[in-house]
Parts: sequence; structure tokens; C-alpha cells
Amino acid sequence: MPDYTNYTKQEMQAFAIAKNIQANQIVIVGTGLPLIGASLAKRIICPSCHPIVESGLMDCDPVEVPRSVGDNRFMAHCAVQWPNVRFIGFEANEWLHGEDRLIAFIGGAQIDPFGNVNSTCIGDYHHPKTRFTGSGGANGIATYCNTVIMMQHQKRRFIDQIDYVTSCGWMDGPGGRERAGLPGNRGPQMVVTDLGIMKFDEDTKRMYLAYYYPFSTPEMVQENTGFEIDVSRAQLMEGPDPEIIRIIREEIDPGQAFIKVPREK
Amino acid sequence: MGKVCTLSEAVARYVKSGDTICFGGFTTNRKPYAAVYEILRQGQKDFTAWGGPAGGDWDMMIGEGRVKAYINCYTANSGYTNVSRRFRAAIEEGKLTFEDYSQDVLMLQLHAASLGLPFLPVRLMNGSGLTEHWGISREEREKIDSVDNDKFVYVDNPFNPGEKVIAVPVPKLDCAVIHVQKASPDGTCIIEGDEFHDVDIAVAAKRTIVTCEELVSDEFIRRDPTLTRIFGMCVDAVVHAPHGAWPAQCYGYYDVDSKAMTEYDKASKYQDANDAKRQLAKAAEKAQKAAEKAPGDARAAEMAAKAAAAAKGAEDGTAVPETFQDFLNKWVYGVKTHEEMLDKVGASHLISTKNVPGLGYAGKIPERTC
Repeated sequence: MPDYTNYTKQEMQAFAIAKNIQANQIVIVGTGLPLIGASLAKRIICPSCHPIVESGLMDCDPVEVPRSVGDNRFMAHCAVQWPNVRFIGFEANEWLHGEDRLIAFIGGAQIDPFGNVNSTCIGDYHHPKTRFTGSGGANGIATYCNTVIMMQHQKRRFIDQIDYVTSCGWMDGPGGRERAGLPGNRGPQMVVTDLGIMKFDEDTKRMYLAYYYPFSTPEMVQENTGFEIDVSRAQLMEGPDPEIIRIIREEIDPGQAFIKVPREK
Repeated sequence: MGKVCTLSEAVARYVKSGDTICFGGFTTNRKPYAAVYEILRQGQKDFTAWGGPAGGDWDMMIGEGRVKAYINCYTANSGYTNVSRRFRAAIEEGKLTFEDYSQDVLMLQLHAASLGLPFLPVRLMNGSGLTEHWGISREEREKIDSVDNDKFVYVDNPFNPGEKVIAVPVPKLDCAVIHVQKASPDGTCIIEGDEFHDVDIAVAAKRTIVTCEELVSDEFIRRDPTLTRIFGMCVDAVVHAPHGAWPAQCYGYYDVDSKAMTEYDKASKYQDANDAKRQLAKAAEKAQKAAEKAPGDARAAEMAAKAAAAAKGAEDGTAVPETFQDFLNKWVYGVKTHEEMLDKVGASHLISTKNVPGLGYAGKIPERTC
């Protein structure tokens, strides 16, 4: 009998994602961990959610884990195959209609205390030390939708000044989005990392530690954050049951495309 | 003149150096690779490229120096190469003239082109680096005819005075190249699965080349007009090119060729043998320093030895890794036609990428446990 109690940091992150998806939410996912989390939600934690991807594939329920948002694995098992522009229109109309049904997962290389995210470049934009893909669908998603940001928790990634704002968070604090011409009633809701879950203070819009994991501590979070972070409100989030881990390893990602199973000792 | 022709004829007739051009498909799905390879073989260059959700297609064009201006939003063989490597190197080395839009805006721009709109107002990109930074400055833009003088302009919404929106230019496409599942001699196309931006660019471009998995009769393709997606009059050339999206996937037909995508991922790390030498020497130096910093660390020492051996192999020519140039010599320049390339890929290997009906991709049918 395989050991399902030895969950990894990534599995904890996927579990944290799944726990934060609510009934009937329309969930914008990419590939990787957010997809594993959404698949977990769809299967057992919150089956009424509707995963969609920016290529325009709506209500996806893939059998095998897709590698890209345009993958045949999404396309063959969804409700509607829209072109990308229709997805963009849907996203915008959800906001225009005052609907609050969308939640989106985005990732990045750098993040600041207000949840502004960089996925374009490290260093000068014209002469970068490292160039990434750039926006993809992230800028539009961060404009119109509430987001959950997925990050690796490292000091060099959590910094006061990011090199490029690809996806807008709360900008420079309260009222920042409105001043920038962005919908003020949308923005980052939380940051899920391998060390914990950060939320944003309602008054200051600054990131604070809301939850740490059984294998992390508030001190570890501060040590790995490049700016002052309030950890006074932090609570422990319990780890996943072995059954959750079994489902991730045996049913959702058996090929270990995104989550590596630890070797038996 | 009929539209059905060979790949070589289609590309020679309808792809010109200096074109403003867009390819269909989405990162690793239904990319018109057969035509991309033929363009590489024929030598057209100086493209103003509207990348869209690009992958290896534009990465190869950039690596081969065929791009004058790259209007982009995302370039990756997702799941294999997270950031396309020749694209990345060209920007990091300051060799590429590029502009960034978000994917939403770029796809809407292509859609606006298909609608014939004069410009496009959006509520996107506000407050971000996409408005703060211009990849191509105004001065540079004024020197490039195929690029509009402004990346965007703030305008007042005439129907809601006081609301500031962003107006972006609409691309004027000379050429569109797409790969579809079925086409008929009059140019009518069936696209199965997501159409992406392919219909938009086929309508918007002055010249459109279609390659297809199956060439069927004009009568057959219109047996069920609910399936047809492109009006034949939008199409200039129809080329029968089975597996024309290889190594990308094609819905209803085949999956990604993982072996080839992985090969390209590794090979495209190095532009050519000299670049491999340079990069491996640098990596060896770095590993050596790390090992010196941590005396007694067996793993660091092992890594340094490995890196040193790789650098030596590249330097003396005994073990040069496959490079981007080698990949193209093998799969593109080393063959004369698409058919010759398919022979090289091999029948049994191609068959292994065939989609399983019902699953919609190449894979094992999940077994039911009782």
C-alpha cells in the first residue's frame, strides 16, 4: 500500500487552491498547480465549480492533465469551444453585469506587497537579465477578475519594487486601481505559496500572512519575504487527508506531469 | 487559376519578404509548421510578425533572423519549453525589435482586423507595464512603415465623457498562414475543435495560405455547412499537407509529438556549436566556483566535473550537443519537401501520435476497475 501521508509542498499548495474554490464559481485556470487544484475541487471538494481556460474552452473536465491551455486534452472534454476573443468578452461582461462569479489563478516571477505581479522580465525591459513570456492572458484577467496568485515563496521574488507590472494588483494601495483606470471592485484575493496563504488587508491593501502550513512557520514566511509582512493574524492550515493525496497521485496526475511523488524511503 | 498547389508553389507565390504576417494555431496546437518550414527553406525574411499565442513557429523565425518586428504576447511551447529559447535569447541579447501587448489585446486586434475596424478601444493594459513601456519607441516606429506610429493612444470614450480608454491600432495583414483539418479546392475550410484566431486572420489578410490534413471535394465539404468555418473566397492557396502541424497537435487527428518537442526544447538552448561552446564553458566555470566555495560537498564536486566534461566535449568537438541550427538542418533544411520530412519522422512514430477517438488525444484508455 503506497504511503499517502507524506504529502509534498506542491500537493499542499494544490490542496490550498482547491479549498479556496467556492460553490458554483467559474474558475480560470492555466496549467500546472492551479489545474491540479481545480481538478481536485471539481472531483471532490467543490464539484459545482466550472473550470475555464483563456483559449476559450469553457467548463473543462479533462481526463488526463493538459500541458497547455490550448491542449486537445482540454478541448476534447469541455462544454464549449469558444475562440479566445469570446473568452475575453465573457470576462469583461461578467464585470459589466456586476457578477461576482469569476476567480482566476495567475502566476509570476516577482510580486510586491500590494499583489502587483511581474511575468515579463527581470532587469531593464529593453535589456533584461531574464525575459519571460510576458502577459499571455494574465493582464486582462487581472484587470477584470478577482485573482489568486501562485508563487514560489522566495525573498528575491517577494520584493518592494518589481521590475515590470504585468498584472495589476492593488497598485499602490487603497484607491490605486481606480486611479489607474482599473475596476476597483476587482483585485488579488490571496497569494498561495509553498509556505502559506497571504491575504490583503481591507484597509491598507497590503499583504499579510493568513495561514501557514504544518511544515512552515510565520517566521519562515517572514524570512523568505523581501518586505515587512504582518504575521500576527496567521493561523495554521491543516494538511490534506491521505485520500486527497491518493486522488492527486492516482487519478489527477498519475503521470506526475506537474507533481512529483516523493520517493519511498 | 486553381487554388490547389504544392507547398513550395503556395509559399513562393503568397509569402513575400517584408510582409506583415500572422500564423494560426495556439502555442502547441494546430500551428502551420509545414508552411513555416517551407518559408525557412525559401528564405523570405524581414517579417513584421503578429505573434499571437506563439510557440516554436516564431521561435524558429526569430532564431533564423527572419523577423524585422515582433508584435507579441506569449511565446512558448507550453509544457515543454516555458519561454521559447531563441525568442528569449534574442531579447536578452538586444537583437530583436519587439512590442508587448497582452494576449487579450492582441487577439482583439486580430479580431478587429477581421471586422475591418479603423482602430480598437479597450479597457485593458491600464496601469501596467504594457502602457508604461513601449517595446518599439515612437522614433523607431516612425522609421518602420509596417508598424503604426503609436503603440496605443488614450482617448476619451465619446459615449461616456470622462472615461479614459485605450485605443490600439488594427493590424494590416499582408499574409495569413493556417493549418486546418479539411479544405476543398475552392478554399472552403473545416476547422475542428477551437478555431483560435485562424478565421479572423484568414478574413483579415490580403493573402491566405491554407494547409490541410485532408483535401476533399467542394461537394463533400458543403454536405454539412454547420461545420465549415472559412469562406473559400478568403483563401488563395490550398495545400494538401497531412501532419502539417507536426510536431504540434491537431484536434481530431493527432497529438503533440513529445519526442520532437523535447528535442527542440534541448536543441534550442544553443543557437549553434559556437554558442554551445560558449554557454557550456560559462556553466563549467560557474559550477567550478560553486564547488570551490563548498569544499567537501560531494554533489557540488560531481556537478563541476560533469559541467567540465560537457564543456570539454563541446570545445574539442567530441561531444557537441544538438543545437538549434542542427535541429533545423535535420528537419527543415536537410529535406526538400514536407513529404520527405514525414518519411524521416517515420510512419510508426507518426501513428503513435494518433488521437484515440473519445479521448481526443493520444493515450491509454483509462481502465475501469471493478
